[in-house]
Amino acid sequence: MEKLLEMNNFFKNIIIGLFSVRSNLTRVILTASGLTIGIFTVSIVSAAVSSIDKEFAKSMDYYGNDKVYVGTWPWSFDFDWWKYRNRPKIEESSLEYITQYSEYITDVSIKKNTWTRATYGNKASWVQLNGVYPSYQDMLSGTKIENGRFFSQNEWDLQRRVIIVGGTVRDGFFQGKDPIGKKIRLNNVTFEIIGELKKQGIGMVPGGTLDNLVIMPSTTFERILTRWGFDELVLQTNPEDIPLAKEEVGMIMRVARKIPPGDDDNFAVNSADAYMEQFNTMKNAIAGMGFLVTGISLVVSAIGIMNVMFVSVRERTREIGLRKAMGATNFNILTQFLSEAVAIAIIGGSVGIALIRLTVFGLASFPIPNFNGATLPISFDLLLVFYTFTVCVFIGVLAGLIPARTAANLNPIDALRDE
Amino acid sequence: MAKSKKEIISIQSVSKIYNLGETVVKALDNVSLSIYDNDYISIMGPSGSGKSTLMNIIGCLDVPTKGKYKFKDELISEMDDNQLANIRNEKIGFVFQTFNLLPKLNAMQNVEVPLIYSSLGRKERIERAEEALHIVGLQDRMTHKPNELSGGQRQRVAIARALVNKPSIILADEPTGNLDSKSGNEILKFFAKLHKDGNTIIMVTHEESVAKLSKRRIDIFDGKIARDE
Repeated sequence: MEKLLEMNNFFKNIIIGLFSVRSNLTRVILTASGLTIGIFTVSIVSAAVSSIDKEFAKSMDYYGNDKVYVGTWPWSFDFDWWKYRNRPKIEESSLEYITQYSEYITDVSIKKNTWTRATYGNKASWVQLNGVYPSYQDMLSGTKIENGRFFSQNEWDLQRRVIIVGGTVRDGFFQGKDPIGKKIRLNNVTFEIIGELKKQGIGMVPGGTLDNLVIMPSTTFERILTRWGFDELVLQTNPEDIPLAKEEVGMIMRVARKIPPGDDDNFAVNSADAYMEQFNTMKNAIAGMGFLVTGISLVVSAIGIMNVMFVSVRERTREIGLRKAMGATNFNILTQFLSEAVAIAIIGGSVGIALIRLTVFGLASFPIPNFNGATLPISFDLLLVFYTFTVCVFIGVLAGLIPARTAANLNPIDALRDE
Repeated sequence: MAKSKKEIISIQSVSKIYNLGETVVKALDNVSLSIYDNDYISIMGPSGSGKSTLMNIIGCLDVPTKGKYKFKDELISEMDDNQLANIRNEKIGFVFQTFNLLPKLNAMQNVEVPLIYSSLGRKERIERAEEALHIVGLQDRMTHKPNELSGGQRQRVAIARALVNKPSIILADEPTGNLDSKSGNEILKFFAKLHKDGNTIIMVTHEESVAKLSKRRIDIFDGKIARDE
């Protein structure tokens, strides 16, 4: 019971604190706006970083954590164009060496890449085209056959004009209706759709979307479309074997290409984890800058709140004296002023959250035209709200503590005499 | 003075000494005093005589440097800040010269202030505040803010605030000092009524006419009691 009464008293003092916030609303809002800006930036930064993370995870799925890719270009942001442009094309024949000699690679496929115009009736769109082996069915990552089927070995052998389409083809060409059995034209040749891939959404990969994709037998690709596609070797391994597999594949490639010892590789062995490093560097740079700016603005706003609290204590010295004469304890006064400071901080934080909510809503409601109705991937989660409030309470207490202690320790006689 | 009355306050050889750097000020010098139930006392004295210091000690806003102060059976002179705050809350009602009402609160809320620091529930607080405003005759002004009330009315709100916790003593520091004579007289009549109803009143004043209305008069001079009758 005693405890309960004490709690009751505690809340009464909080209410008194809140009441004085209400009576100084203009000043409170001006002071809180510093924190609003701080919370807004911190939220934007966290939202950006967590969105990057999410998109990145999706992109990782697209490349898979259990695959090694051999191509002419390394997956890097700082590549030297002149160095790589004259490298020889990747030969499909290298796959035989890899299959024969590798210990770590369990499955292989060629992946021929090009972009081409797809038409259906009077609709047209550019799609990314992949020519692959039948084995690629088991090497799809981040997606799977959702409808229909993959092409067979027989269809590959016979160079059949069958295709598996990505998730956006259904919406783009068939108004959401089942595309299986339909025929579309690629580069003016008619193909039959036999399978459909599960939708993946936007990712940080060349071309942006993962769904604007058409897969066909590599034999058909070569015969009908082009011999000049950009070729890659897709090699399946186990996630834990990636480093060894890369090293091994590099050596096999050197043997296959008869590169003399001491000469540089004229190919690149890539995997998703190399990408990961690049992305992490970028992400950390964004986060570091953002949190630095935020940190500074939070400190500045804490100083602002502290200043306003000192003014508030100074202005209400007589009130403090009176309340003490009426029986308020030091702790009562401390609670009153602390809750005032915390309230200012929470008001600032709430406005910040409202702003970020609006921003996210605004961004989400403007589709990006080129990405087939997809929107910019930015996320807003409730955890952010929770963190914001924690930060606000912390800043409020931190900024309010010294002024509130000053108020609590005032001598009632002197305080009452204050003019 | 009927000595058979119950003693509320017992002050024994109390001194209050202020150390102002080089000089030492003896605001109260070995003062002894008893205050009884239903006393109506006026404390008089020139400024700097120590009457405010005595008032502050009686009001538990300050503790003596030397001597014993007993309120009923509790030894005030040994108490810490929190205990003093509780005594002020439960046993003492203050009336100030400048009213000291909180300008943003209405009459009702002002009267409620001491109750906030007691353990009463909201419903009971409102009932008590209404009752106190009724006693001072301001039942029609409950929702008025101090700037909507006259000086006399403001002081009556302050008196209601002093009464609301049903204190053992009412301490009034120059309660008529900021009022015109008509309002001042009303307030004094009101104090007389409170006294008749059984309240104990201690009033600091420097006006002879005000002091005459009380039943017991204490003069302070140079930190000592010069007269008590």
